[in-house]
Amino acid sequence: MSKSSNSYGAGIMGKTGKAFHDEYFAEENQVVHESNEVVLVLKKSDEINVIVDEYLLGDHADDNKTLVIEDRSGYWWLKATGKIEVDCAEVAELLGKNFSVYDFLVDVSSTIGRAYTLGDTFTITSELMGLDTKLKDLQS
Amino acid sequence: MAISAATKAATDALAVNHAPTSVNAQEVHRWLQSFTWDFEKNRTKYPTKYKMANDTKEQFKLIAKEYARMESVKDERQFGSLQDVLARVDAAKRVHPKWNETMKVVSNFLEVGEYNAIAATGMLWDSATAPEQKNGYLAQTLDEIRHTNQCGYVNYYFAKNGQDPAGHNDARRTRTIGPLWKGMKRVFSDGFISGDAVECSINLQLVGEACFTNPLIVAVTEWAAANGDEITPTVFLSIETDELRHMANGYQTVVSIANDEAASKYLNTDLNNAFWTQQKYFTPVLGMAFEYGSHFKVEPWVKTWNRWVYEDWGGIWIGRLGKYGVESPASLRDAKKDAYWAHHDLFLLAYALWPTGFFRLTLPTAEEAEWFEANYPGWQENYGKIYDEWRARGCEDPNSGFIPLMWFIENNHPIYIDRVSQVPFCPSLCKGASTLRVHEWNGKMHSFSDDWGERMWLSEPERYECQNMFEQYEGRELSEVIAELHGVRSDGKTLIAQPHTSKDGKLWTLDDIKKLNCVFADPLKSIKAGDR
Repeated sequence: MSKSSNSYGAGIMGKTGKAFHDEYFAEENQVVHESNEVVLVLKKSDEINVIVDEYLLGDHADDNKTLVIEDRSGYWWLKATGKIEVDCAEVAELLGKNFSVYDFLVDVSSTIGRAYTLGDTFTITSELMGLDTKLKDLQS
Repeated sequence: MAISAATKAATDALAVNHAPTSVNAQEVHRWLQSFTWDFEKNRTKYPTKYKMANDTKEQFKLIAKEYARMESVKDERQFGSLQDVLARVDAAKRVHPKWNETMKVVSNFLEVGEYNAIAATGMLWDSATAPEQKNGYLAQTLDEIRHTNQCGYVNYYFAKNGQDPAGHNDARRTRTIGPLWKGMKRVFSDGFISGDAVECSINLQLVGEACFTNPLIVAVTEWAAANGDEITPTVFLSIETDELRHMANGYQTVVSIANDEAASKYLNTDLNNAFWTQQKYFTPVLGMAFEYGSHFKVEPWVKTWNRWVYEDWGGIWIGRLGKYGVESPASLRDAKKDAYWAHHDLFLLAYALWPTGFFRLTLPTAEEAEWFEANYPGWQENYGKIYDEWRARGCEDPNSGFIPLMWFIENNHPIYIDRVSQVPFCPSLCKGASTLRVHEWNGKMHSFSDDWGERMWLSEPERYECQNMFEQYEGRELSEVIAELHGVRSDGKTLIAQPHTSKDGKLWTLDDIKKLNCVFADPLKSIKAGDR
C-alpha cells in the first residue's frame, strides 16, 4: 500500500476502533480544513485503463509525484496535490484512434476540485477557476 | 463535358484548400460566443435574493453535437453490458439476497431525486442570466431525464432477471405507509425545487451532488461489487459521468454570486441549512443501506463519510472557498456525530417498523455484530443486546406473534418523527445527534430532533406541514393500513416487506400482522409544548 498522504487509507483512514473514534471526534476536526488536493474518479473502460497504465503511470508519471491511483473495483480513484491533467491528443496517439476530450469525459465519473476542458486538455485543479483564475476559451 | 468557368474555379480552389469535413467542437463553442445573447434583463418565474452575474462560464465547453455523442456512447456501453454480458452470466441472480433488497431502496429513491432534479435544473435555467451558465443547466436537465430512466431501468432489470422482484417493481405504491419515503421526498423533492432558486442549487448541486453523490453513486458501486452486484456499477458509474458537470454547475452558481452583497448576508446560512437538510437523511439512510444491507463489508460507513464528505467535500470544495467568506457549516459537529451513530439508530427503528417498508431487512449475524463492535466501540451494549433479545423472541418467525415495534411500546421507548426532515427517532435510545423538542403551532403539536431543523421550522413553519404516519393513521390497525396502501405481494396477502431474507424462512402475511393488534398511536398526544 502507498505511504503517500494522498492514498486511500492515509492518516485517520488507516486507524480503527477507538483510535479512529478519538481522532474523528477531536476538537480540531469539528470544522473543515482547507485542502489543496484534487480527486478524480475514472470509470474503468478500455480507453481509461490505457490512460491510467500508460499515460498517468507511464509517460507522465513524473508530472505530479503526489498523484496516487488506486483500484476500487469498478473505478480508478485518483488523488493528487495541485492538479491532474490529461492531454487527449497524446492519448489518441497511444490508443491509435481519434480521442477527443469529450471521449475522455464519457468515462470521468466524479471530480472533487475544479475540472475544465481547453482544446484537447482535461484539467482538474485546486485553483478556484472563475474566481482566482479566469476560465479561458480556445484561441484561434 | 465542358464545365462552366465558375465550377472550374471552385473545383480548382477545393483542390488546394480542401473543404473541412469536421470542425473542432471547442472552435464551435468559441464561435457561439459571438452570438452574445443578452439574458441580463430577462424576467424569471423563479426569482432569487441573490444577483447572478452575467458572465459566468460553463467549464466543459459543451456544444449540442458533442453532448449528444457523449451520452449516446455512454448509453451504448451501459445497455450493451446489461443486455449482453450481464444477461449471459445471469448477473442479477448472483447478487447477494441482502444486497438485492438494498438496491430496492437505493435505486427507487435515487430515481425520485433524479426526477425532481429535472424540475430543479429547468428552474435554474430560467433564473440564470449568463448564456454559458444556462447552457450548463440545460445539459443537466437532459442528464436528469437520462438518470431517471436509468434508475427505473435498474429496478426493471432486477425485477425481470433477479430474485424476489417485489419492491423492485412498483415500489411507489407503498409510499404513504412507512416513514422512509417522506424523508426522502423532503431531501430530494422539497429541498431541490422549493424556495429561492439559488438555495435550491446549493441543495441540489453544491451539497446533494458535489458532496453526497460520491458515497451514493460512486462508493455504492464498490459495496455492490463486493456483494456480487455488477449491475449497479455498470449503471451508477455511468450516471456519475454526468454528475461532474453538475458539481461544476453548483460551483459556478457560487462563482456567479460571489461578488454579490447578498452572498455575505445569506450564503453561509443557506449552505448550512442545505448541508443539514441533505445530511440529515443521506447520512443515516446510506450508512444503514451499506452496513446493514450487505453481507460483505467494504469499510465502516463512518470512514466513507469522513473521506467523501468531511475531507474531500469539506476541504476541497468548501475549505477552498474560505477566502470568499464561505464558512465551515455550523452543523458539522452534529453531522459528524450522526455519521458515526445515526445509521445504527435508524436501523433499530427501521427493523422495528419493518412491516411498513417495501424491502426485506435482516438482523445482524454474530459475525456482523463482532464487526460492528470492532468499528463502533459500544455498539453491542447499545444495539446488539436489543437484537439478541428480539431474535430470542422469534422476531423473524410469523408464528412468534412478535414484531419489534411491540418491544418499544412494552419498554416505554416512544418513537417520534422529526417534522422538518421526516426522519423517525427514539430519544431514549439514540446515540446520534437527536434530542426531543416539541412546539405547538396552528393547533397542532410538532416534534423535532435537532437545533438545525428546529431553527428552519421556526423561520418558516408553514413550509413543513407534512403529516407523519402516526398522525395519518392514528387509531387504525396496522394490517388494515398495509392492505389499503398496497403493501402486499401479487397474492394479495403476503407482505412485500419481511424481517429476513432466508429462502427457507416463512413469509409474513396480513393475517399474521392482524393477530398482533398493533394500532397506530400519535406519541405527541401525550406530551405538551416545550417538552424535551
